[in-house]
Amino acid sequence: MASAGRAVPLDSPVLAAGIRNFTFHDGHAPALHDLAVSVAPGSFTAILGASGSGKSTLGRLLSGWLAPGGHGRLAGFLELAGTRLDFDGGTGDPRIDPAQWGRQVGFVPQDPAGVLSTVRATVAEELAFGLENTGMDRAGMKAAVERTAALLGLAGQLDQDPARLSGGQLRRLAIGCAIIPGPPVLVMDEPFASLDAAGANELAVLVRDLLKQGTAVVVLSQAVDPLLLEAGTWLVLADGTLTSGGPPAAPRSGSGLLPPAIRRLDLETASSPAPRPSSRRAVELPAGPAALELRRVSFGYPEVPERRRRRRRQEPGPDRRAMVLQDINLSVHPGEIVAVTGPNGAGKSTLLRHFNGLLRPTAGTVLVRGGDIAGAPVGKTAASVGLLFQQPRDQLFERTVLREVGFGLDRLFSPAMAADYAAAALEAVGLAGTAQEHPAELPASAQRLLALATVLARRPAVLALDEPTVALDGDGLALLDTAVRSAAEAGAAVVLVTHELGYARAAAHRILALDGGRLVPA
Amino acid sequence: MTTAAASWVLSGTVAAACLGLSLATGAARRVVPAAAAVLVPLGLSLLVLHGLFFPEGRTVLAEWGPARITAEGLQFAVQRILQLAAVVLALLLFSFSVSVPDLVAALSTRGVQGRFAFVLASTLTLLPAIAGRARRIREAQESRGLVITRGLLSRVAAFRLQAVPLVLSLIEDAGTRAAALEARGLGNPGPRTTYREVPDSTAQRAVRAVLVVAALAALILRVVQSGA
Repeated sequence: MASAGRAVPLDSPVLAAGIRNFTFHDGHAPALHDLAVSVAPGSFTAILGASGSGKSTLGRLLSGWLAPGGHGRLAGFLELAGTRLDFDGGTGDPRIDPAQWGRQVGFVPQDPAGVLSTVRATVAEELAFGLENTGMDRAGMKAAVERTAALLGLAGQLDQDPARLSGGQLRRLAIGCAIIPGPPVLVMDEPFASLDAAGANELAVLVRDLLKQGTAVVVLSQAVDPLLLEAGTWLVLADGTLTSGGPPAAPRSGSGLLPPAIRRLDLETASSPAPRPSSRRAVELPAGPAALELRRVSFGYPEVPERRRRRRRQEPGPDRRAMVLQDINLSVHPGEIVAVTGPNGAGKSTLLRHFNGLLRPTAGTVLVRGGDIAGAPVGKTAASVGLLFQQPRDQLFERTVLREVGFGLDRLFSPAMAADYAAAALEAVGLAGTAQEHPAELPASAQRLLALATVLARRPAVLALDEPTVALDGDGLALLDTAVRSAAEAGAAVVLVTHELGYARAAAHRILALDGGRLVPA
Repeated sequence: MTTAAASWVLSGTVAAACLGLSLATGAARRVVPAAAAVLVPLGLSLLVLHGLFFPEGRTVLAEWGPARITAEGLQFAVQRILQLAAVVLALLLFSFSVSVPDLVAALSTRGVQGRFAFVLASTLTLLPAIAGRARRIREAQESRGLVITRGLLSRVAAFRLQAVPLVLSLIEDAGTRAAALEARGLGNPGPRTTYREVPDSTAQRAVRAVLVVAALAALILRVVQSGA
């Protein structure tokens, strides 16, 4: 049994696991091995691990989402509310009923949209979905929905369509779906990823309230968010096993206990007012034309007719076209790194989509290397503008990592150059060793880096990065930083949008904020 | 004998009623183009097939070798088109005007299995979801130099590139969603309740009862007639 998992609780644990070995059916090496986890009632546990360390697998095993036998073989035990289930990977193993398990352990996966039933029209009904399935009467459901919504801070959104929530609200709704049956344990996988400061604060308040009510909370994370300093126990996961554990102070002071790949957001925010001096010095701008120029660009989304049918009752009156961008002027010169910050939903992604013509301005002009891109197909403009999307999953579509990076390069360069550039881009993001793997099987951080490599390989004059830090662990962040700098030194104009002010300060020459549709110096 | 009522008047009335209802509910903008897309090619092929090659046709209007236009053939074709129009319009009107959440709630209060109600509902909401995902993949590919022009060939080639990632991502999505739904008790065998209250007026109940009785009556009448 694991010698490293020394987390011995004072009273009997509400949830525990002893894993000698867990191997996916299609995996060669065990995803998890020789570890023990024990969660005491009402406790707060942080499980820290870099991308690919086995965090998500552990979280899903603990919460019954990854039933042993179904997707992989478990040797070891799971213990829930005093009942111990022993597994040896054979046919005689006990079966887990996910619904029963879900009433004891709530789970929120990395992608909160994944838990929504998609057939419920309002937040209230989505929350009630799990209660309906247990046959609770309507009065009981109404009370539970109201109580949970108040806890989540979603009381004002109960009649809203779940598809229209902001990132932070969606995360809290997913948590609500997990906690509404009142489970004694809540497990969350990377809850802070992609949340801006306001969203992270709201989540922290929610976690504290849950702890106050006696719910045990387990957070799996690849970054030390300030909230995790309040945890009773830190467990450090690396290569599928626990390497250290104890109260937060221990791994913090003991140098080397936390792998360098785990980001210290708590320290970054503390030290962020002091930007790196080297990065802030103004670049000497070349006299030539700007690589990218926006002249008085305004944009509003047209009314969407798709959902009109459902909305009709809720939105009386004409739907005025709300302007997302208003009168934006921006010019970025070769070699310059500009960061655009702003809260979730400010229109940062909308702005980036104008650079290559995915969105066309309602008014105003976009010039790339001095030429107006209006009327040019996106595929043509893409030769000069490389755009990194927020969701790597939408961006990766090839069978191997190498093919992914090579996609479309043959149209720009000769075959020999294309191969060189693809290899160089993979090298730059540290993925040279995985060239023949399938992109979907890479851990989240590596997927983001691969998406970045596909953009870098094209050597675009304008590099537009949408939230490049999301899902990156510390190692990935360092690679991103180097790659962006060297691209700028090679003459690319870089625009990155991010909600992480600390990263923006460290990386950019110039910081702008998108506020109410207008671009202002930050 | 393929359809219950081979009557011009009945088919025409049903089709007209569907059109009227779709205009009244505001669904006409979606129902009419969709119905046209189904009915126009089908109708033309019926006209060609039965108009030209109707074996029982006696009244010959024109003749070219083996092909002859007969009055009976034309009449038969128009009849079939009207029947089809009635069925297609009724189905489209239903799918474009039904509120999916209401339908699911109504089904489960009437004891329909949770899984079945869910499958039905997600079938109705699937298409917009797939279209959204396909759009995002296309945007990513365009951003990496895929030039899609208005030409059909270019679009077909682009679709070929999108199909694989689209299916893969939908499968991946389905995996997560399945685990979430199981954990939230979708597979519970016991009775279930609904949070949503579906308004069901006395008039609606009466109309439903009348429709059921009418359908039964039509069926019995038909059986009796064919037996006679």
